[in-house]
Amino acid sequence: MINLIFNLLMIFLVITAFFMVFTKDISNSVIALPVFGVILVVIFVILQAPDAAMAEAIIAAGLTTVFFVITINKTEY
Amino acid sequence: MSKINERLKKLHTIALVVALAVFLLVVVYEIHNLDNNSKRYLSEHYISEGVRETGAINLVTSVLYDYRAFDTLGEATVILTAAAILSLLVPVSKATMLGTKFSIIVYQTTKFSIPFLAVLGVHLIFFGHLSPGGGFVGGVVLSIIPILLTITYGVEFSESKLKPAKKKLVEDIGAIGFILLGLLGVVTGSNFLANGQANFGPGNTGELISAGLIPYLNVMIGIKVGAGLAIIFNSLIKEK
Amino acid sequence: MVIPYVVVIILFSLGIYTVISKKNLIKMVIGFTIVESSLILLLILIGYKPSGTAPILDRQYEIVVDPIPQALALTTIIIGGSVTAVMLALVIKIYKRYGTLNVDELRKLRG
Repeated sequence: MINLIFNLLMIFLVITAFFMVFTKDISNSVIALPVFGVILVVIFVILQAPDAAMAEAIIAAGLTTVFFVITINKTEY
Repeated sequence: MSKINERLKKLHTIALVVALAVFLLVVVYEIHNLDNNSKRYLSEHYISEGVRETGAINLVTSVLYDYRAFDTLGEATVILTAAAILSLLVPVSKATMLGTKFSIIVYQTTKFSIPFLAVLGVHLIFFGHLSPGGGFVGGVVLSIIPILLTITYGVEFSESKLKPAKKKLVEDIGAIGFILLGLLGVVTGSNFLANGQANFGPGNTGELISAGLIPYLNVMIGIKVGAGLAIIFNSLIKEK
Repeated sequence: MVIPYVVVIILFSLGIYTVISKKNLIKMVIGFTIVESSLILLLILIGYKPSGTAPILDRQYEIVVDPIPQALALTTIIIGGSVTAVMLALVIKIYKRYGTLNVDELRKLRG
């Protein structure tokens, strides 16, 4: 069961990454970034790395997205 | 003609990337093989002796703050450098972003959630050697508080509550405190940043005050990372 | 356990492709983020052992996963966040100076 969930999460990870790269609008790809981060967090928890999962949840899914949104606002894209 | 040229260029890029992927496949296949039939003596030592030598239950923390504490010092220096670069790049000016007025629900929710965030961050920092978390994660949670204040109430209010000079002072205290705690190992006749070998009294394993210097190092790294990330965020948002 | 390594390779190649072929500077920074995430995933995968527990030894466990790659992954995540902030500040500076984010136009401006 856990193997099935793990493989499904891997497939979702690849799909999210491709969406993030090949979509036309920059806002779409920036909003897909925390989704990518959250899937990665669940994968880390399954791989028994709670420290890395916590850091990833706060940094990649929280702070980095805020930085990207500020950049888009400043450059008026 | 130019269209064909562009097509060719794109094909060239894709071919390069596919070649890189095949190369990586070979390299990673070796790593994957190496996984099965090799013994990792260093990790075996850390797992079997780590708790007794350092007194910390969380082995990641004991690797970060005892065995390889010098790397952690370098990592803290990277954050200091990033904050310095952003302060250099961005001139001192008024913020131009965020003229939006929120409804009262947003203001009240922010007001109520800030104490819980402070408690969570301090808990993560102090219990870094007993549970997942540690100085880095707790510091980032603490730096969320000025970010929330800036986003909801604006830069002026946030900087009147938490002044930039004060944040810089806190970051310097964190960096200098880390180095002074490391020099404590030299004073007692051991190496720089020594903790387990210097015999600071590991205490009872599993209690809050145990594991020698690790909780104090966690506090220093926590306030340093929190202040540094708050400075980075405010510098980014103040760019005209 | 072969699928995760293939996913790591796919993500790494996708990030490199984004960096060298996309025109927008913000898209290039997103490519760097993808490369960094794939490397963190590789580090965690190297340390994993089947049916192991997390390296928090509040009592004796039989199989414990490797703590050293996890500590390195934690370092990588924190440094990646601050490096991304510096890159985005440079992107804002370039926009203020040249008024565009397109790489081709930036090259034309330089002549």
